[in-house]
Amino acid sequence: MKPPSAGSAQAAALRRIGLGGITGNPIAFLVVLGMMALLLAVPLTHNGYIEIVFRNILMYAAMAYGWNLIGGYTGYVSFGNVTFFGIGAYCSAVLAMRGVDNLFAYVALAMVVCALFAAIVGLPVLRLRGHYFGIATLGIALAVADIVANLDALGGTSGIALHQVDEAHFSVYYYAMWLVALGSMLGTYFIARSKLGYAFVAIRENEDAAAVLGISATRYKVTAWAISAMMAGAAGAIFAPANGFIDPSITFAVDSNVFPIVMTILGGIGTVAGPFIGALLLAGANELLQRSFVKAHTLFFGAMIVLIVLLLPRGLVWLFGLRGGVRTWVKSLSAFKA
Amino acid sequence: MHLLAQDLVNGILAGGILAVVALGFSLVWGIMNIINLAHGAFIMLGAYATYQLFTSWHIDPFLTIPISFVLLFTLGYLIQRFVINWVARAPVLTTFLLTFGLALLVVNIALFVWTGDTRGVSPSYAGANFSVGGVTVPWVKLFTLLAALLITGLMHLWLTRSKTGRAIRATAMDIGAAQLSGVRVTQIYAIVFGLGTGLAGVAGTLLSMSYAINPNMGDPFLIKGFVVCVLGGLGSVQGALIGGLAYGIVEAFATQLDVTIGTQHISGSGLQDAIALVVLLIVLIVRPRGIMGKAIA
Repeated sequence: MKPPSAGSAQAAALRRIGLGGITGNPIAFLVVLGMMALLLAVPLTHNGYIEIVFRNILMYAAMAYGWNLIGGYTGYVSFGNVTFFGIGAYCSAVLAMRGVDNLFAYVALAMVVCALFAAIVGLPVLRLRGHYFGIATLGIALAVADIVANLDALGGTSGIALHQVDEAHFSVYYYAMWLVALGSMLGTYFIARSKLGYAFVAIRENEDAAAVLGISATRYKVTAWAISAMMAGAAGAIFAPANGFIDPSITFAVDSNVFPIVMTILGGIGTVAGPFIGALLLAGANELLQRSFVKAHTLFFGAMIVLIVLLLPRGLVWLFGLRGGVRTWVKSLSAFKA
Repeated sequence: MHLLAQDLVNGILAGGILAVVALGFSLVWGIMNIINLAHGAFIMLGAYATYQLFTSWHIDPFLTIPISFVLLFTLGYLIQRFVINWVARAPVLTTFLLTFGLALLVVNIALFVWTGDTRGVSPSYAGANFSVGGVTVPWVKLFTLLAALLITGLMHLWLTRSKTGRAIRATAMDIGAAQLSGVRVTQIYAIVFGLGTGLAGVAGTLLSMSYAINPNMGDPFLIKGFVVCVLGGLGSVQGALIGGLAYGIVEAFATQLDVTIGTQHISGSGLQDAIALVVLLIVLIVRPRGIMGKAIA
């Protein structure tokens, strides 16, 4: 066995390869912006199935951006962001039950309610650090889902039917979701470059040092979580009418909780391009595998995740910053070896 | 009154299993800093191991505890040695993602081998119970609790007294210092992960006698194990036990709660998880490092 000091210095150097600035690699960001522009053309195919697939990708992307802000930039790993997606969906449902039929109103109400909920719950919960915050947020997610399932006013377990999904206006939901995803992406980009973003990263790297430098950690953490909640809430607010029906098991699904986290890490955590790339790859691959292998698709999906983590532990975005080609990549494979 | 006593007993009986569920999860997390999302899948494998041994060779489920431990320990040891070890020192979320993928793989392989049908392990004494002062106690659950206590005790002794156990705790405290003292970290990591999966296997065996067995049976226990291990304090054996019992009791009492707000009636049994989790939140806010956790430095 090599002496630990030499090995770890080399490993530490390898770990630093290919990391961009605070927004991640700029080329990756441009590529992702280009892909977003292309996605605007999806409804032109007039294929309902394709539109739903890509709408789901955009939905997951918005949720992943939300998670990235609190989990990736601020370093507070939330296992409860699905709560905001669910609250957003129920905001739309409540408005729809009262006869309001306006997507802007749905999204606006969802964002306000989610931000308020995140701020109120965040004040005590964001005092917890690391794993304890994660568990507390998981608790909130499960508890809110349980409570909604028991409230008759919100339809209980049988859910709420909003309306018949209208063929003629079907693409409206797609464009709305596209806007939410784009807004989340650009929001992340501009927040990351602002004082806010640097405060988030300072808290992630060393909260005590950040506090000594005069960053009010609690205020910034609550802000990060509230913005994060608004992104997930907006996605939920559009999902509800687009789907036409919601119930607790759809809106507070474990998948919707874990997928955005997995997508962000797979794409590249703490970068602007990462969540979108992760969402596109994961949701896309899941759909393709589902079509090609009726029985074994989840098996291949699991194998794909394992392989990507082993081959690209930094996330896919890391490839954009790789200099020195295959040799550097092969060397970097053992960077995290125990 | 005896209703409350029954709840208390039910809670303690359920809490014993939860302690074993959380123990392996807690060790892997506390010592290796890996949140093992495949823990639920390993619990499921343990339950199927018992199911196979019981239906094919008629081995008493309680006697399959060591077999399922050894099988799952070997599996975990190999997985750590040849897969997870490549990213063992990566940020915690990288291994989080890796174990998520592993969980999907294991669950779906189980779906191919055993299909999605629900199965059960019911030895001849499955329905037997006894009563003390109006409180009913099923024998299976009592023995399960005793087995859980025994395993937790053995784990504690082994970690504090044996040479390997001390090396494991040293690695958790300061990996560099442990290496300098001649601890082979790769080997220790593989043993700890093996222990984690082995204990998951034992938990699966214990659960197989009171719960339905299917490839997805581990999911709720993964979440409960997650909660219990933080409730008790990460990487602590006593913490897992106390956290498990506390969670079990709170959950059992929650079923008795009935709330009526206006015309809205909410029964406690529907809110069991929510109430347990609200208690968890309060505990965390009052004691941010868990019941048995160390004070914040």
